[in-house]
Amino acid sequence: MTALANSEAAAGHQDVRACYEDVRAFYDAYYEALDDDRIEEWPNFFVDDCLYRIIPRENYEAGQKTCLMQGDSKGMLTDRVRAIRSTQVYAPRYCRRFYSSLRLVGRTGGELQIRQNLLVVHTLISQPSKILGCGGAHDRLTLSDNGNLKLIERTIVLDTEMIDNTIIFPF
Amino acid sequence: MNAVIRHWPDTGETRIPYWVYTDKDIYQSELERICYGEHWLYAGLEAEIPSVGSYRTTTLGERSVIVVRSAPDEISVLENRCRHRGVTICQARSGKVPAITCPYHQWTYTLNGSLRGIPFRRGIHGKGGMSADFSPKDLGLVRLKVEVVNGVIWASFSDKTKPFREYFSERLWHSYERMFSGRKLRVDGYTRQTIPANWKLLIENFRDPYHAGLLHVFLPTFGLFRPDQGLELRMDETGRHGSLMPVPGHDPKAHSGEDFLSETAHDKSLKLADRRLIEAVHELKGEETVSTSTIFPSVIFLQQINSLQVRQIVPKGTDEFELIFTFFGFEDDDEEMRQRRIRHGNLFGPAGLVTVDDFEVLPMAQSSFRAAEDEESVLMMGQGGRVNSDQGSMATESPIRGFYEYYREVMGL
Repeated sequence: MTALANSEAAAGHQDVRACYEDVRAFYDAYYEALDDDRIEEWPNFFVDDCLYRIIPRENYEAGQKTCLMQGDSKGMLTDRVRAIRSTQVYAPRYCRRFYSSLRLVGRTGGELQIRQNLLVVHTLISQPSKILGCGGAHDRLTLSDNGNLKLIERTIVLDTEMIDNTIIFPF
Repeated sequence: MNAVIRHWPDTGETRIPYWVYTDKDIYQSELERICYGEHWLYAGLEAEIPSVGSYRTTTLGERSVIVVRSAPDEISVLENRCRHRGVTICQARSGKVPAITCPYHQWTYTLNGSLRGIPFRRGIHGKGGMSADFSPKDLGLVRLKVEVVNGVIWASFSDKTKPFREYFSERLWHSYERMFSGRKLRVDGYTRQTIPANWKLLIENFRDPYHAGLLHVFLPTFGLFRPDQGLELRMDETGRHGSLMPVPGHDPKAHSGEDFLSETAHDKSLKLADRRLIEAVHELKGEETVSTSTIFPSVIFLQQINSLQVRQIVPKGTDEFELIFTFFGFEDDDEEMRQRRIRHGNLFGPAGLVTVDDFEVLPMAQSSFRAAEDEESVLMMGQGGRVNSDQGSMATESPIRGFYEYYREVMGL
């Protein structure tokens, strides 16, 4: 063990490398649930008091808060899932997310700050696949002692400001 | 001006022929007669360009324009096209500049569009340059007529357009003043999307109270729409502008809404996990719960719960338009109200829990028009003609007929 890992272990944290594997597994499961249309599972990747946002880059950089999607509680994410399943009207489609390698940009206490790039492609049935969104995710994860990871915050900043009509499913 | 050779059905505005959504000559004629004619187009909010030199670029009709604060009390709207070689000068969406300079040959214009200088006008070492009769004053950027009304910037390509308030009409003024009273605005951000449908379909959608509780299952399901609610439905004298304002219902027999609910497909067991998504505080004048205004031809204003929005329509041919939402609040909002507006924004925009329904259903109409251009829409709900009513019904299509009454007049159809 390195001195760094030693000191972190002493502070009650896991080894950085092991932690990285856990985080990767967490995201694999997250994206797989969404790509496979198991969106009912999506809110469970978040803590109760969470923040989820998809925000156009022009707003983000101007310090404006308007989002494409915004949930400031796990309940609000559940409400979006209910609307998608029970009230919203939309043409049938598939949605797939392509994500880059993860970068651990910060670690404070039991919290990890992760950045990654994200490309989302949607395919309306009988139509060519199109890019729905290209952007970067700025996430904060809790790292609990039992190894369970949950998102405290996920902010997706979208370069794609001109949306190809609508966004139905979360990223 | 293009000659329009199509023949409108004899049934008047109770039928809308599908070719109005697909014919390229009709579209060109719409640009000339409507967008570049005697109408006011939404150009932005004063709050977006706070100091001299602040500008934003936007698109009016199909033309790019620069909306700039050219003096402390003056806003100029200039076509974003260098008079020299036609280059689109400002590429950024917003910024702040001392003057407007084309990147190609550095022709420089003042903030109100006068041509101030061109490099090498007198040549280099006596050779080349412009002739003595070259007149910079004839080569300013094309200026539009501008009027700023309670914080909203309006521009017109025609000098003959009537003053805005007269254009919009006294009858509708209260719907304008309700959202834009002169209280200082604060812009909270934008969403942008391309919708594969004809631009008129969106205006029709906003003048269609009939669809509100039927297409948008979210609204009755979570209590944002009551079947017993009244409706104030108004149009100006021409029919081109309109406002719809639902008011709380007062008929005790209708309060259960059972008749309505049995006619709609919604699940009464659904409940929101977090009511803050729609919990609103009353803030604007009057008891109306929602107000929408369509201001011919380019913009819609909407207040619902605590979300305030401008929706600007940018036509892109017969089959496509861009829709830009500007979300705003007021400068003196407290932090709680700011949060509430952002939260309520979830219902609107390209991922809106409610608006997605509209943006998805309009292309479903557009995609069938091309193959059946001579077929017609049926607009008979609420009988024929158009009526203004302070006790109107949700079961009417009268405001859409009003829109087409004026549309036919201006288009010569």
